[in-house]
Amino acid sequence: MQRPLLYNNIDGVGELALGFFFLGYVLIQRLPFHSSIWRRYGVLLGFLLLIAAIHYGVKAIKKHITYPRTGFVEYQKRGYIWKGAIAGAVVGLFFGLILVLAARSHWKIGPSHWILTTPAALIGLVLTAGYAYKIAKAVRWKWAVAAAMAISSVAIAMIPAGVIGAMTGHTSASVTAHVWIFGALVLTYALYGTILMISGGISFWLYLRHTQPAAETAE
Amino acid sequence: MNLKTRRIAELDRVIHEPGRLMIVALLSAVEQADFLYLQHETEMNKGTLSSHLSKLEEAGYVEVTKTYRGKIPQTLLSLTAQGRQAFAQYRRRMKEAL
Repeated sequence: MQRPLLYNNIDGVGELALGFFFLGYVLIQRLPFHSSIWRRYGVLLGFLLLIAAIHYGVKAIKKHITYPRTGFVEYQKRGYIWKGAIAGAVVGLFFGLILVLAARSHWKIGPSHWILTTPAALIGLVLTAGYAYKIAKAVRWKWAVAAAMAISSVAIAMIPAGVIGAMTGHTSASVTAHVWIFGALVLTYALYGTILMISGGISFWLYLRHTQPAAETAE
Repeated sequence: MNLKTRRIAELDRVIHEPGRLMIVALLSAVEQADFLYLQHETEMNKGTLSSHLSKLEEAGYVEVTKTYRGKIPQTLLSLTAQGRQAFAQYRRRMKEAL
């Protein structure tokens, strides 16, 4: 039965957490560091803080808002959710890698070529498919969110290199394949983060509007 | 009446009742849940839900644990191993019969 698993995002907190993670990732990548060592440890520390904030933030919202309104659920520790996520990531990266290798051997990288942004878009489409499978199929209006995510991925794949290069602080001439893919991935995360925060925020607002904390009476 | 159809008569009647089937199906997908969650999901009133839970507890299918969430009383419910086995068997028989 899928219903209890979908309950995890009944308040939109699942989407808010994911959106927060994506935007946090973008923010960490944009932080100015003076040396590569500082960058390495700074990024690591930033990620640890981000994960801790999400973990404890979600816990606090569930404890003080969700459980008193619609009840507590402890999920079974099943491996298949992680297996699905890992399989999705591997498939996305695999296709991305194939595209990069194909592009490297067949095209000269130039400012007008957008083919190298495709791996980031593919990773985005894998994320969209996961979102549609896990969340959108339970709530009809979330299909609009899935569509927005899919359109964003395709749009990112078509962005010219110059724009991606400018985003990452490179000139068009110095844009390499790595910068291209990385820039597109950061842009994907920024867009997905924003979309998920809006969608999760709306869900959270609707949840608060339609539920009340339960009266403390005998059960 | 053929053998497949006759299997419907062998279904576990404790689980077969729609209200209890909802409860067992929900609990089968989780480790444990509280009374409020089941009430919210099944849209049953407290009396009806309590009555069904008592029957499931008597049959040994559900374990009821009374605890506190802060200062608020909380009733945690989970399927026992026997309950999970009975629900799996119920599903199998229902599939075979239909």
